[in-house]
Amino acid sequence: MKRRTFVGAAASLPAFSILAAGGARAQSKEIRMIESGGLSGDSIQVGYIDPLKAKTGITVVRESPSSLGRLRALVESGQTSATMFELGSGVVLQAKKLGLIEPIDWAAVNPAAMFPEAKAEYGFGYQYFSTIMAWRAGAKEPKNFTEFFDIKAFPGKRCLPDYPHYCLPFAVQATGVPIDKLFPLDVDTAFKKLDEIKKEVAVWWKAGAQPPQLMKDNEVQYSICWSGRVVGDPAFGLNFAGGKADLSFFGIVKGSKPEDKAAAYKLMHEMSLPENQAKAAGVISYTGPSPDLDALLPKDKLWQFPTSKQNKAVQYFENAEWWAENGEAVNKKWEAFKLSL
Amino acid sequence: MSDIRLEGVSKRYGPVAAADDVDLAVAQGEFVTILGPSGSGKTTLLSLIAGLNRPTAGRIFIGGRDVTDAPAQERNIGLVFQSYALFPHMTVLENVLFPLGVRKIGGAVARSQALDALKLVRLEGLEDRRPSQLSGGQQQRVALARAIVFKPDILLLDEPLGALDRKLREELQVELKQLQRTLGVTTILVTHDQEEALSLSDRIMVLDKGRTQQVAAPAEAYLKPANRFVAEFLGIANFVGLEDGRTGLVRPERVRIGAIGTAAKTARVVEAIYLGQMVRYHLALENGAAGAPMVAAVPFVGRAFATGERVAVSWEAADIWPV
Amino acid sequence: MNRQERSTGFGFVAPLLVLMVVAFNAPIAYMLGLAFWDKGQGFTLEHYQGLLEAPVYLRVLGNTMRIALIATLANVLIGYPLAHWMRGLQNRARLVAIALVVLPFWVSILVRTYSWIVVLGNAGLVNRALQWSGLTEQPVQFLYNELGVTIGMANVLLPFLVLPLFAAMIRIDDRLLQAAASLGAPPRTIFWKVYFPLTLPALAAGTLLVFILCLGFYITPAILGGGRVPMISNLLDTLINQIPRWEQASAISTILLVVSLLIFAAYRRLDRTASL
Repeated sequence: MKRRTFVGAAASLPAFSILAAGGARAQSKEIRMIESGGLSGDSIQVGYIDPLKAKTGITVVRESPSSLGRLRALVESGQTSATMFELGSGVVLQAKKLGLIEPIDWAAVNPAAMFPEAKAEYGFGYQYFSTIMAWRAGAKEPKNFTEFFDIKAFPGKRCLPDYPHYCLPFAVQATGVPIDKLFPLDVDTAFKKLDEIKKEVAVWWKAGAQPPQLMKDNEVQYSICWSGRVVGDPAFGLNFAGGKADLSFFGIVKGSKPEDKAAAYKLMHEMSLPENQAKAAGVISYTGPSPDLDALLPKDKLWQFPTSKQNKAVQYFENAEWWAENGEAVNKKWEAFKLSL
Repeated sequence: MSDIRLEGVSKRYGPVAAADDVDLAVAQGEFVTILGPSGSGKTTLLSLIAGLNRPTAGRIFIGGRDVTDAPAQERNIGLVFQSYALFPHMTVLENVLFPLGVRKIGGAVARSQALDALKLVRLEGLEDRRPSQLSGGQQQRVALARAIVFKPDILLLDEPLGALDRKLREELQVELKQLQRTLGVTTILVTHDQEEALSLSDRIMVLDKGRTQQVAAPAEAYLKPANRFVAEFLGIANFVGLEDGRTGLVRPERVRIGAIGTAAKTARVVEAIYLGQMVRYHLALENGAAGAPMVAAVPFVGRAFATGERVAVSWEAADIWPV
Repeated sequence: MNRQERSTGFGFVAPLLVLMVVAFNAPIAYMLGLAFWDKGQGFTLEHYQGLLEAPVYLRVLGNTMRIALIATLANVLIGYPLAHWMRGLQNRARLVAIALVVLPFWVSILVRTYSWIVVLGNAGLVNRALQWSGLTEQPVQFLYNELGVTIGMANVLLPFLVLPLFAAMIRIDDRLLQAAASLGAPPRTIFWKVYFPLTLPALAAGTLLVFILCLGFYITPAILGGGRVPMISNLLDTLINQIPRWEQASAISTILLVVSLLIFAAYRRLDRTASL
């Protein structure tokens, strides 16, 4: 196939340029990143890009959205303009498997102290976000997922994520499995639990903006949704118990120029500093990977953040490896389940 | 017994009367032409008879039955439009079969009736064509076949030949007349073409501004028009002053021309137009009503008068019709 | 147009054609090819085999077809009378009606989709009116089911059906209908034998367009369907961005494309027979 040869040839060009650049410590004055957009993008600007610019003069241009499809198209077409790419924890593994990202040179990043799961071989975990239970203010408040899935004791319409990896572990918890015993995930039990309540699930959401809006409109009363969408709004009650802590990563796009990578590592260094993470958390209530961050955050708001001590202890951390291995098989079951609705 | 009768029929659109208190009686098998300039209300009158429109006043009878409020479907009328109005998605045969199908006539009977009708309008062999594959004249024949195939009580023709060129129009006029005579169907034709009206009809009805001006046989209407409008609308009219102060009409064919001295009145030839067997002279009278224009149409026999030549002009008193 | 003129014309169009092929067709061919070529293995049919072994994806495809069919039917049931009604309007009223039909074109699909929640939601205008008038006790579930998806898709796609239909209808000469009446046809016969056949090509083209657009719908089913109405484009999103199995996605896309082309071919064939 001609197209493939073309892609192959293009991919070999950057390899050549790496050799040519040799040991020169050149560093680009401008690099591009592709991130997920929205408030999260603004927090990157305020927390990390602006301080980097002030210190080094390096400009970082942001683009969005960031999907795996886009990364794959980027790399396979031999394009090297974007250096940093935002990826979910599962996607990092997939991108690594597909050869779309490069290992991080942690020595070059030279980060401040970080939670270990954020310091991955192929990705810099820059932002924790939680998937938690939330409800319309005034609804009876569940304390755990067993209660959340109990539609008799806690009547009301539910809004659950239309993604198996955001949905199934909570269903397993509802059967009494503690958060440290979730994986390997008992998929069949999870589906059985979902079958029990599927009549009460009004909406399976695709976009994170849906659950808070639906609760406000009183279309549903209970949701499993992203913490950042509901914290701090008196219209909602929420509980981190049994929630899922997950990380968004930045990876280095395969074939990036060394001088661009050098600049990207500088930005990652900025991302590791707790004072910068505190600035970012002022924009969005998702937090960076520094264990020392709590001290820099307003005391009265600690309950809102995924990584504050009180919240981090009651959540489980996403098991991306398990999903990487089982994701496709689970998805087929998921589609079959959706067809049964 | 009259086959179609209009009694005081009016159709008003706001303050405008498209038909104003019209009376008409058409006999069984008669060919009547409604003639008038555009906007005279002739098409309105036809659509009232066809039932496509309801009159605001008056009654309409067909075959003795009051059909004033009957829809078009129930009048058993064959209608032919200037625009043909053939169904473009049907073949020629399907078009002609349509009114039969509506009357629950099907199968071989319908087919042979339809083919007969097509034969009558000389369209054999074109049954399977679509209207778009036919010439204008052929399309109008299909429309005609479609309008007669179900043996309508009445045939209504709305400027059926108006979209055709002159030669074809004349050919079809002859065919139309023959067809009407063969079928013996009561026919009303609407046209603004006075030659067509005069050559085809048993009687003509001249219409102006929604009002009847005259109903008469073609020759009578031509030579003895009821008023000045009819006189001028039907062919060329010469008006002459009469001794009693009234105005008289002399048709160009009744004006005689000779060498100077053969008659008392003289005129100068302004224009001489050769029309084959006839020559038409546009004259300017010299004595009497000096300078008044006059048209004379005389048979062409050997010598014609030239432009600018002076001629003697005369007419018989019997050829004058006071209007 | 003679041959020389034609080839000159081609010269002008050629750059555009090249652009189309390179920018548009080549990536599609590449995407579709993914299902047949495996890295290092050459030609393979295993991804299609995979589809047959896991018929759930085919069932999603079947479900998509079914929903598309229902939405298209709903569109026809609303659109045909609407276009016919517009034909009978006076000039000014007609302009207003056309503007109202076309208006949704100018509103973002997201805004339109969310406004349906305002209208048809549990606390929406319709339900409040129903409960206020005492017709219903509980809110009627208009949204987050196939009904919601059908309403949403019909709304978004209505102009695609109404505009060509309306254009065809105003081209029908009133005298054709009068001729049919004078030939003795009752109104019902005039409609079915004359009027309807003359609008049929436009109806078929509009219906086809709407159906094919329905097949690829993404936002409306996701939001108004409440995720309860699995559609093929949502599945493709999962297969491309979440899992990712581009080869599988490519195989499904190929089937979708082939189905669309088959429907189109059937339409062309019908159209040609009709116009002969």
